[in-house]
Amino acid sequence: MTRPVIKRTVDMQIIADWVEPRSRVLDLGCGRGVLLDFLAQSKDAFAVGVDLDFEKIAACVHLGAIAYQGDMLDFMRAFPEKHFDRVICSRTLEELPNPAAVIAEALRVGRALTVGFVNHGFWKNRLTTLLRGRKPRNAVYTTEWFESRPSNPASITDFEHFCAIKKIRITRRVHLSGDWKTSCHFRPNFLAGYALYDLTQ
Amino acid sequence: MNEAEIPALTPAAPAAPGEVGLVEPRDFVCSEPFTFESGQVLPGFTLRYETYGRLNAARDNAVLICHALSGDHHCAGIYSPDDRKPGWWNNLIGPGKAVDTSKFFVLCINCLGGCQGSTGPSSIDPRTGRPFGVTFPFVTIRDMVRAQKLLCDHLGLASLYAITGGSMGGMQVLQWPIEFPGFVKKILPMATTARESAQAIAFNEVGRQAIMQDPAWNHGDYPRDGGPRVGLAIARMMAHITYLSDASMDRKFGRRKKETAAAGAYNFDVQFEVESYLRHQGESFINRFDANSYLYITRALDHFDLAAAHGSLEQAFAPIEAETLCVGFTSDWLFPPEQNREVVLALLRAGKRASYAELTTDLGHDSFLLESPQLYGLVRGFLEKA
Repeated sequence: MTRPVIKRTVDMQIIADWVEPRSRVLDLGCGRGVLLDFLAQSKDAFAVGVDLDFEKIAACVHLGAIAYQGDMLDFMRAFPEKHFDRVICSRTLEELPNPAAVIAEALRVGRALTVGFVNHGFWKNRLTTLLRGRKPRNAVYTTEWFESRPSNPASITDFEHFCAIKKIRITRRVHLSGDWKTSCHFRPNFLAGYALYDLTQ
Repeated sequence: MNEAEIPALTPAAPAAPGEVGLVEPRDFVCSEPFTFESGQVLPGFTLRYETYGRLNAARDNAVLICHALSGDHHCAGIYSPDDRKPGWWNNLIGPGKAVDTSKFFVLCINCLGGCQGSTGPSSIDPRTGRPFGVTFPFVTIRDMVRAQKLLCDHLGLASLYAITGGSMGGMQVLQWPIEFPGFVKKILPMATTARESAQAIAFNEVGRQAIMQDPAWNHGDYPRDGGPRVGLAIARMMAHITYLSDASMDRKFGRRKKETAAAGAYNFDVQFEVESYLRHQGESFINRFDANSYLYITRALDHFDLAAAHGSLEQAFAPIEAETLCVGFTSDWLFPPEQNREVVLALLRAGKRASYAELTTDLGHDSFLLESPQLYGLVRGFLEKA
């Protein structure tokens, strides 16, 4: 197994642990449907994905996953309150032009919102910036700055600050160390590479 | 029914690789009375159809193809070795193609009310010995689907593995799992809508007026080889524009002029290539389509409204057991992407398994017919995921 695959498996497993069996789940930015398929297989979830890209939707369909090609905000606006048991925003948030609007809408259509993101406050990222004077790059965000990902890097402190001012309740949090496997309890904004949150309004 | 009634599917000549090859249409004659949604009754009817591929032992590998307004049952294959014009969805259907006839038993039926061999207004009314004309019962999308089901039963199909079609075909695809929920496993509507917009109804009405204002229409009473040829051709010319797009017409024709058009000629002869193309479309249409059928089928399109028929789209879709993949096309301005999206959103709100994919094309409503490896891959992926 290559390193990114191991990393993917760990955060998918944590997300899946939070998903109730047979619940109705929405995955924002579902990509090629790996998480959708995993939730359908492991939790018998009714999992729907949204993505902008045709090839990604086609890959989901090929897997037998349910996917909708379109804008995630437009999609969520077409559903009544709490239509989904859980909305998942895994490695998507930092790529959005308007994360606050998406989080607000996700908390309206979902009873819970799971968010997973790379912690840009991680010491290695800080060191890169400090010593090399370069944009941090890592296993998930491998691209140069001009290739645009991520557009909105956030740290754990940034995110918790956001939840506090928006009065969003954090019901669960998991911080993973630099290996993205072992949990990190001490000074996470400095020592955690990856963060997962479970939120309710 | 017995085995002998199952169509033998061996073509008379070996098929070229990837092609359905030689095909021939068959007729299903139903001699039971058929009551239309309007309450009107026909003592019986005929449906013309074609099949490709083999029905499996479990009789559950059938894929039904539903044609659009001006289409017919001939969706793949050729009628003779030197036939240069294969069926209308030949690019999608065949051995090894997206709708793989080496796996599926493919069935396509000329719709009730049509004029390519199925019973419609141009058929002879046995009571009078003359064509029905406008005495033919009003036909709806639901009537077409109910008649198709009788043919499926006649063929002994245990279920339909999938149903697909674009435009009016897509409407039938949506009606099927509502009408016969347990009979359909997958539906794949394309470039369609759960109800036409005012604009689409408006275009149909212009077509109908062109026909009905032609004196040769004669209130629908005309001989089989006559009728409102001018009106029907104009209806077709106008409708054909709605199947294309500004960009695709510009690419195909631009402002190019016919070689025969004298430069700067101040007259109304054909000058632009697009005029010549539309006139050709109109003229070839009158030789294969019946004007009264055009009136009936466009009316069926206009009346189709799943939300009104069931209270809401969610209620309409409530009985559906099938899984859906709906495909929209960015440049389709007749049944635009939003109307296809609305179908999927309503299915999801109703708790059904439904996906939506959108192809970026500049070819307009007819995009669903065009050669697109992306579309082929999508259709194959949906059909072959058990």
